[in-house]
Amino acid sequence: MDFTYSPKDLAFRDELRGWLAANLPQGWGETVFLPEDEDENAMFRLDWERKLYKGGWNGIAWPKDYGGRGATLVEQAIFAEEMARAKAPEGLNIIGRNLVATTLLHHGSDAQKARFLPKIISGEEVWCQGFSEPNAGSDLAAVRCQAVRDGDHFVVNGQKIWTSFAQYSQWCILLARTDPSAPKHKGISFLLVDMKTPGITIRPLRQISGECEFNETFFDDVRVPVENLVGELNGGWRIAMTTLAYERGPEDALGRQLVFRQELDQLLATAAKLQRGNRSAIEDGLLRQKLAKSLVGIEIMRLNCLRAFSKSLKGAPRGAEASMNKLYWSHVMQDMFDTAMEVLGPLAPLTAGDAHAVDGGRFQLGFLRSKAFTIYSGSSEIQRNIIAERVLGLPK
Amino acid sequence: MDFDFNQEQYMFQDTVRDLLASALTMEHLRSGTPAELWGQLAETGVFALLTREEDGGLGLGYTDLALIFEEFGRALVPAPIAAAIVAGGAIARFGTPEQRAQLLPGHGEGALRLSSAFAETVATVPAAMTLTARPTDAGWTVTGSKILVPDAAAADKLLVALRFGDDLGLALVEPSRAGVTLREQDTLDLTARYHEVIFDHVTLTAGDIVGGRPDPAAVVACFDAAAAVAALQMTGMAARTLDEAVTYVGQRKQFDRVIGSFQAIKHRCADMAVAVDACRSAAYYAAWALDEAAPDERARAVSMAKSWCGDNARFTCNQAIQLHGGIGFTWELGLHLFLRRIKCEEASFGDADWHRERVIGATLRSMELAG
Ligand SMILES: Cc1cc2nc3c(=O)[nH]c(=O)nc-3n(C[C@H](O)[C@H](O)[C@H](O)COP(=O)(O)OP(=O)(O)OC[C@H]3O[C@@H](n4cnc5c(N)ncnc54)[C@H](O)[C@@H]3O)c2cc1C
Repeated sequence: MDFTYSPKDLAFRDELRGWLAANLPQGWGETVFLPEDEDENAMFRLDWERKLYKGGWNGIAWPKDYGGRGATLVEQAIFAEEMARAKAPEGLNIIGRNLVATTLLHHGSDAQKARFLPKIISGEEVWCQGFSEPNAGSDLAAVRCQAVRDGDHFVVNGQKIWTSFAQYSQWCILLARTDPSAPKHKGISFLLVDMKTPGITIRPLRQISGECEFNETFFDDVRVPVENLVGELNGGWRIAMTTLAYERGPEDALGRQLVFRQELDQLLATAAKLQRGNRSAIEDGLLRQKLAKSLVGIEIMRLNCLRAFSKSLKGAPRGAEASMNKLYWSHVMQDMFDTAMEVLGPLAPLTAGDAHAVDGGRFQLGFLRSKAFTIYSGSSEIQRNIIAERVLGLPK
Repeated sequence: MDFDFNQEQYMFQDTVRDLLASALTMEHLRSGTPAELWGQLAETGVFALLTREEDGGLGLGYTDLALIFEEFGRALVPAPIAAAIVAGGAIARFGTPEQRAQLLPGHGEGALRLSSAFAETVATVPAAMTLTARPTDAGWTVTGSKILVPDAAAADKLLVALRFGDDLGLALVEPSRAGVTLREQDTLDLTARYHEVIFDHVTLTAGDIVGGRPDPAAVVACFDAAAAVAALQMTGMAARTLDEAVTYVGQRKQFDRVIGSFQAIKHRCADMAVAVDACRSAAYYAAWALDEAAPDERARAVSMAKSWCGDNARFTCNQAIQLHGGIGFTWELGLHLFLRRIKCEEASFGDADWHRERVIGATLRSMELAG
């Protein structure tokens, strides 16, 4: 066991610190923040991702062959810490970097890796995930969106829903039914779909928070070249499980942890300023305990990730344990946003537009968004089923 | 960076687990610790592990003991054993050469028994301790008491945390010393005896003080070690109660089904598994921090672990009892032994609220925020 930083690690840290200081906008996190408008916000995050790439700081854990640094575990941990310290924004292409790339690295052909990976890491091509359908959510293997072979193409017809970032995406990973007569897990294929193909319609869906990050996506005779099939025909379920293991795994969680830690640091600073009776909110014993609980919870989230990483670096298979990671953080973080609302007290109802709103309404937004944590990437109930059956071995 | 144990550490865990599986059954726990246990554990090296090599020990650290303490929790190894290891660790690290030479070889062999006296009726943490040594011509004199000292009656030496004037320090006192009386206490924990140690004008000399003079940093380091060890043991207790529950719900049938196939039950088990996994992350890191981190980070790591593991061992044990139904409430089954012990560990060496306050206080100071 070793958490110490070697001189090489410290040099890595200093290099990153220097780069961040030179590349984040002047006054970042103090007077300059992420744009409020959703589209501007997305474009800002995309620009930032491209800047990271140019500086050699995007997808640092990727193999060098595909433009990464092959960063060690300690370097990844340092990266997360430094990004949190600098309050750096999160890149936009999370699905591309964390899900698509990792899935292709496992299951893609050499040609697919060569074609797609460089443009993911460079931020040129943003990806979305077309898995869920109106009648296939938790029961994902029930997907009905069809792909029928026609010469050297598949013709796709059907509907996807809750497709995050579809409006900003050039490409989509799609789960489609290619054998309707086979048992449901055995008739699904994993396709890579160019979002510019004729026949794709995107309709934004408004979320709890008022934002429209996710969409309905319709496919109407959409032609997908057969070389965009990943793995084997009708072998898509196994590949989708790889995608989900990464979606629930420590890479994803470590990235989120840094964003959550920034929120909590801001919340602590706010609690120290907010008046509650004749003292500050942070001096209120009960609030202070709840804040401390979140602090401990978030730090353990990081430790969970580092433990999972260390195991996977030694070759432990990545599987149902990822569900433990996801179930843990989603609830810890929902609790933190509940606490945030309590800290705001009388000002909790005031959102961004009001003159008295605290910190530009960020905690209200975070609170509303946090409701999704226990739904997406597999709801908490589904994670519990997985843990009980596959980790603990309880009967179906 | 590597947040995992090495091969030797896992092998050591297996050895101790195998030993405890036969040496300490539920039957033993109900009828008292088998006398051979100290000797059997000594043979594995657990008592010599923290002792420096030049003093005849193994020169290893708490990281090497982390999985061992987890096994102790799993098997409900009675509290005097961990107390002895922590006391020996403090002597190994802070003792004078004479103290180390006098005590550690016997301790390492399991022949000389140490125990530690920290808690008072008004204190489980150093800053709140009131027991005070007053200067005299010959040295110091102590009057007052410590409570919940694990099996003080069987100990050859007690490591006592107390004040010398304003400074905290650690002293070594035999229970047989003039002015010391022991009173066996009635406690929740049925797996060990605990004593109140009453000091009535007990004389201390410089030679009794660990390191020769009061050292507040040593007291805090020893307290942190004891709190982390409690967290590690509670992690093991949580893991064991999860295992017991999963085994039981996998066999018990009602409504013509194994109850573990009911989702309400599966989901409780899954939440327990997540809680145990996070206990491990927190407690293992605390063990590492005892060996390697600067005092501030050590304190933060230990307090995270003590608060989290306390809350979650309680949670896991409560769930396990519920999942056993009526039999879970019986004296016979023995889950209550875990319930009782966890409660004692939770209350010792700073409760969860105190440790959370230590975490947030330090965080706010590092952020230069008032409060
Ligand atoms: C913000 C957000 C972003 C998303 N982004 C994407 C995306 O980019 N791409 C994509 O493909 N999908 C995305 N999703 C979809 C997400 O994966 C699904 O919403 C999720 O899997 C749940 O499916 P569902 O909505 O159909 O709910 P349902 O499956 O209908 O579930 C409804 C309720 O029933 C419970 N339930 C269902 N089955 C069981 C069971 N067997 N046992 C116990 N309880 C059960 C669920 O836990 C839930 O509480 C997103 C969702 C959200 C909220």
